[in-house]
Amino acid sequence: MRSFQAKLLYLLVSVLVLLLAVTLIAVHVFGQRTMRKSVTEELRVGVRILERILEGRSRQLADKATVIAADFAFRDTVASADRATIASALANHSERIDADAAFVISLDGLVVADTLEGRYAGRPFPLPSLLREAEARGESAAQVALDDRPHQLVVVPMLAPRRIAWVCMGFAIDERVLDDVAAVTKLDVSLWNASARRPELLSTLPQQARGELLERRRAFDRGRRDADEELEIGSTRYQAIVHPIRTADGSRIQTLLQRSIEEAARPYLLLELQIFALSSLALLAALVVATLFARGVSRPLETLAEGAQRIEHGDYGTPVDVHQNDEIGRLATAFNEMRTGIAEREEQIRYQATHDSLTGLPNRTLFLDRLEQAILKARRTGEIVGMIMMDLDRFKDINDTLGHPFGDELLIEIGRRLTQTLRESDTVARLGGDEFAVTFYVRYGRRAVDVAQRISTALETPFALAGVSVDVDASMGIALYPLHANDAETLMKRADIAMYEAKRDHSAFATYEPGRDEHSLRRLAILSDLRHSIAREELVLHYQPKIDFRLEKVAHAEALVRWRHPVHGLLSPDEFVPLAEQSGNIGAITKWVLRRAITDCGEWNAAGLDLTVAVNLSVLDLFDAELPTYIGGLLSEVGLPPSKLVLEITESAVMKDPAYALRILRDLKTRGMTLAIDDYGTGYSSLAHLKRLPVDELKIDKSFVLNLQASATDDLVIVRSTIELGHNMGLRVIAEGVESEEAWNILRDLGCDMGQGYYVSRPLAVEAFRVWVRESKWGLG
Amino acid sequence: MLRPLALVLLALALPAGAATIDAVVRDARGRGVAEAVVYAVPEGRELPPARKTAVMDQRNREFIPHVLVVQSGTAVNFPNSDDVRHQVYSFSPAKTFQLPLYKGTPANAIVFDKAGVATLGCNIHDRMTAYIVVVDTPHFGTSGRDGKVTLPNLAGGKYAVRVWYPEMKTEPSPIAVTVTGNERTEVSFVAR
Repeated sequence: MRSFQAKLLYLLVSVLVLLLAVTLIAVHVFGQRTMRKSVTEELRVGVRILERILEGRSRQLADKATVIAADFAFRDTVASADRATIASALANHSERIDADAAFVISLDGLVVADTLEGRYAGRPFPLPSLLREAEARGESAAQVALDDRPHQLVVVPMLAPRRIAWVCMGFAIDERVLDDVAAVTKLDVSLWNASARRPELLSTLPQQARGELLERRRAFDRGRRDADEELEIGSTRYQAIVHPIRTADGSRIQTLLQRSIEEAARPYLLLELQIFALSSLALLAALVVATLFARGVSRPLETLAEGAQRIEHGDYGTPVDVHQNDEIGRLATAFNEMRTGIAEREEQIRYQATHDSLTGLPNRTLFLDRLEQAILKARRTGEIVGMIMMDLDRFKDINDTLGHPFGDELLIEIGRRLTQTLRESDTVARLGGDEFAVTFYVRYGRRAVDVAQRISTALETPFALAGVSVDVDASMGIALYPLHANDAETLMKRADIAMYEAKRDHSAFATYEPGRDEHSLRRLAILSDLRHSIAREELVLHYQPKIDFRLEKVAHAEALVRWRHPVHGLLSPDEFVPLAEQSGNIGAITKWVLRRAITDCGEWNAAGLDLTVAVNLSVLDLFDAELPTYIGGLLSEVGLPPSKLVLEITESAVMKDPAYALRILRDLKTRGMTLAIDDYGTGYSSLAHLKRLPVDELKIDKSFVLNLQASATDDLVIVRSTIELGHNMGLRVIAEGVESEEAWNILRDLGCDMGQGYYVSRPLAVEAFRVWVRESKWGLG
Repeated sequence: MLRPLALVLLALALPAGAATIDAVVRDARGRGVAEAVVYAVPEGRELPPARKTAVMDQRNREFIPHVLVVQSGTAVNFPNSDDVRHQVYSFSPAKTFQLPLYKGTPANAIVFDKAGVATLGCNIHDRMTAYIVVVDTPHFGTSGRDGKVTLPNLAGGKYAVRVWYPEMKTEPSPIAVTVTGNERTEVSFVAR
């Protein structure tokens, strides 16, 4: 959030600073240009002012000279007196007007008298052009150099009343003139006579600068007139203009007007500073406003982010507190709606996760949770937690005969009755299928039986659903905390065990008896069902093909028995064969398998499929002396040659009573059947024994084959040596558990005869197997 | 109008049967020069003394006449006909004088006894200017706009005819004329 604020500020500041910089640069550039232009203009104006001041002085001088020339006594003197008198009168009058030079000139152009020590007296007036101009215009004025120093001269006639002489008056152009110009223009003004042998510099500049300027004047004398110059005196830069004054005598009187650039730039610098200061203030103000704005935006966003985090942590209860009438406000509203939406959906999901969708009762998860809570509480209060596991008898029959919708309705109704029977604080759950569970507190263990009794009573009333009345029997198992278990899970298991006990005993309920273990009870349950499995046609055969490596075709099909248990689902032989062996049921099962397998194989061969079927024999089968005769009967009944039947015996089976087993085996062998040692490598059969057995095939146990790869040396060595051993003893070697192409290739290269496993095919139901035989690349189709 | 009338009167006063000089003064472009003074100075004869007085009036801050010709030795009066005072002066070598501020007619006339031109001015009115031309002969005249001057009643003999005019820079050369009986002689000057 801070980064958003920072970004906004950064953007704003960048734009403003850029703007400010551009403005300042523009102001500076235009300021400099304008300043230079205005300085140039100032200098030109300065030149005009200088000219105007000189003209004004000249005018003034002319006026003064005119007044003097009109003085009666002076006229009288000039008209009548001698030169000496005239000279003294002239000196007197020129002093009156503060003139620096004065002449009286006869009408024929000769100087009658002068104030310059009489040096010009009796000689022609040095500037006859002035006299000519005065004659033409009544008076004349000009700048000239007198004794190398610049002067302004005026010539006026002396009238008595007709012209009797000329009077010429001169003012030296001195620093007062320059000061006048400087006072008006604020420029520095300098003046010198470039024609003089040793020019004197007049200037408003400080003394030191004058010397420097005097040294450099030649550059200006050579330069263009009235052109802009730039010069540096001391460390001050000046813009300057050189202006020669018009003279009547051809002398070059130069004026230099200059302006300090730094000084001229000062107002612009001040302006720039002001702009900078104002802009900075504006920038600051903008920053403050932007900060406030950014905060105004980021605050609610932060609040929203916090709200999102709360949701992430599972807190859906606290709404986001942002009330604004803008996009963010709408976002907050939408956010809050989303929050409640999520809360509702999560509640729904949690409900679905913890409840049975059919009955609406708590499911196994929630039941376990409740049970745990109850145990925790009971641990503190010393109460007893009771739980009952309940299972409906014959529910499958009801489902099959009356349909699933009816079954579902029945389950819902049972749930309802259970709930009604128990207290509100008790928990009734449906664990799945027709399995229900309840938990409750009791003061004494005996009370749990009362609860079971109440449930039993509640279920006694027939269920009348959709016009059908159904009786439902249930088996209940009771377990108590802390009597039977210390934790919820064990308690549930114990209740389950008790339930099987009740089932076995055909009683409504049973209480768990310590010492019974769950496994044995389940076995008992299975055992009891096993008797009926054949009758109920719950057994099925699956076939797994064995491939001949040389032919790359299926040669054998191993028959594997499966039990479709109505409660426990599809059971593998590992689960029920040991039970069948213990309960003495194995004989019946083996016979069922043999009949089925031989019948199927007979059908295949009749259909032209050259297949041999393999059947596993149990240890106990080897003690059944009747078996060879039974098999022989079956074969001839079906019409299958004995060679098409392989009987697989485990090592351990043979090892139990080798002598007796050997007899049976020999009998079977004599009848032309093929014998195979199954799971070879797991037992301890000595080679000597093996050698005595009348077997044809050796099946390497899948534990050596499953992970067979070129790099796994141990398995490889065992498999190789087993194959070699088998071949040496004249046996066919078959590998079980081939699951990869690599293992397949290794076995083929090692000379193994047949392979079996998921790489080829998993065990298939009989129909699927027939399809496989037709369509597989190893098939016979 | 007064001047020609005066000349006519002057001519009538002289004895008849004398010679006459008709002079004309023209400028470079041939136009007549007004107020040109033409005078004939007899050679080798005594001149009769001047017996007349002349008047240089001041009216409306102007000298009247602007050009006054007198025979040397003539006394000229300077009456002031204005109601302001005048201070008449001359710095000319022919006659230097000044009449301090005055009103009416000064008691004494000023005698112009030396030939030459006196330029008159008024010290308090710079624009006032006039000329008194003093000649050593009674035979003189002043031109009108046509630049013509007639000198009548001349006794036979040799004369140097000369000219003067206010803007003259160099005097044109005198013309020698010898007259006898009643004849009329014409002369002309080119003013420069």
